[in-house]
Amino acid sequence: MERKKLATIWLGGCSGCHMSFLDIDERILELASLADIVKSPVVDGKSLPPCDIALVEGSVTSDEHREELFHIRKQARILVSLGDCAITTNITGMRNYFRTADVMRNAYQDAASNDRVGNYPDDPQLLKLNDKVYPLHELVKVDYMIPGCPPHADTIFYVLSALLQDREPDLDRVKKIKYG
Amino acid sequence: MDTLKMQIDGQWLDVTPGMTILDACRTHGIHIPTLCHLDGLSDVGACRLCLVEIDGNHKLQPACTTKVADQLVVHTDTEKLRNYRRITTELFFAERNHVCAVCIANGHCELQQLGYSVGMDHVRYPYLFPECNVDASHEKFVMDHNRCIMCTRCVRACAEVEGAFNWDVMNRGFNVRIISDFNTPWGESTTCTSCGKCMHACPTGAIWPKEYAQGQLKKNPGMIGELMEKRNMKLT
Repeated sequence: MERKKLATIWLGGCSGCHMSFLDIDERILELASLADIVKSPVVDGKSLPPCDIALVEGSVTSDEHREELFHIRKQARILVSLGDCAITTNITGMRNYFRTADVMRNAYQDAASNDRVGNYPDDPQLLKLNDKVYPLHELVKVDYMIPGCPPHADTIFYVLSALLQDREPDLDRVKKIKYG
Repeated sequence: MDTLKMQIDGQWLDVTPGMTILDACRTHGIHIPTLCHLDGLSDVGACRLCLVEIDGNHKLQPACTTKVADQLVVHTDTEKLRNYRRITTELFFAERNHVCAVCIANGHCELQQLGYSVGMDHVRYPYLFPECNVDASHEKFVMDHNRCIMCTRCVRACAEVEGAFNWDVMNRGFNVRIISDFNTPWGESTTCTSCGKCMHACPTGAIWPKEYAQGQLKKNPGMIGELMEKRNMKLT
């Protein structure tokens, strides 16, 4: 079987899904025998090259994420939403109930834990938050979903090893759907 | 007692007149998902999960509020029904803010379980993200409207079992909300007896006791049915 190209990408999430991915422990050697990791937050920061499978953690919280997601969709043959933030927006979407300006004021000025004179972080290097946080499948076609906060390492391994061996993963059939 | 003959999923069954299709299914071990039904409470057909197909009737009918009838032919597990159940489940998740990861009921939630049982790996509809209140004014309990699915089990448990009539329903559609008394803070209620039956009846993390933290919630919805059974016992 031809070696596949695997990428893992971190958008608006806490990296917990990537931690859970690393929790597959020694089974990562099995994956390494089937695929090359062409991009990952634990590897480097270059732009995503064409690949077979892209696991995307996190929601779309900014224009930067949106552009990156469109780029991923162009480059990846199979796009997999990894974790609740990518699928439901989860905790990152809890600011969708409020106006972004109110959220920022609450977090950086009015919070009991600060001095009430704090400024918003607005360095041009930082990404600019959109008013609304989106799950990936509201913006691009997503091929597979791995829900969970975080998804269990066994679940991630099950999906990845299936895809790398050209099998169809079905979380419902193997009773591995989980939220939270 | 007289019995009727009806067919459920190809099986002819003897059923008792007056019982609902849901009763008949449960009696014969046929599973139909429900959220608004709770043993011991009246049925209102609110959640639409128990919809069944009945031969000769072009509309789907809720099993919990449709009575059995002689020679009735019912289907509970068709492709069409499975599709509708998945849609209904997704709409529950899309309508309010069900953030399982930080929910008190995580792991003990009937809505979460329902999602697993219908094979929901994502919601195909846009989330509405309504701004919902969290009423923590009560001494013992919290009402979190983010997690409420409007099954009204709390309303019925309060009225039919406790007899306190603290809970009611206000507005319609997207704006529908459970209210305490005349839409006043729960802690100021003049009718609430703080008995906690609404908390046990609630299938999600919408009503919870203050002493629990995330994921710790344990509810006992079965106690509602047990209470009603004991109440109907003839002791002399």
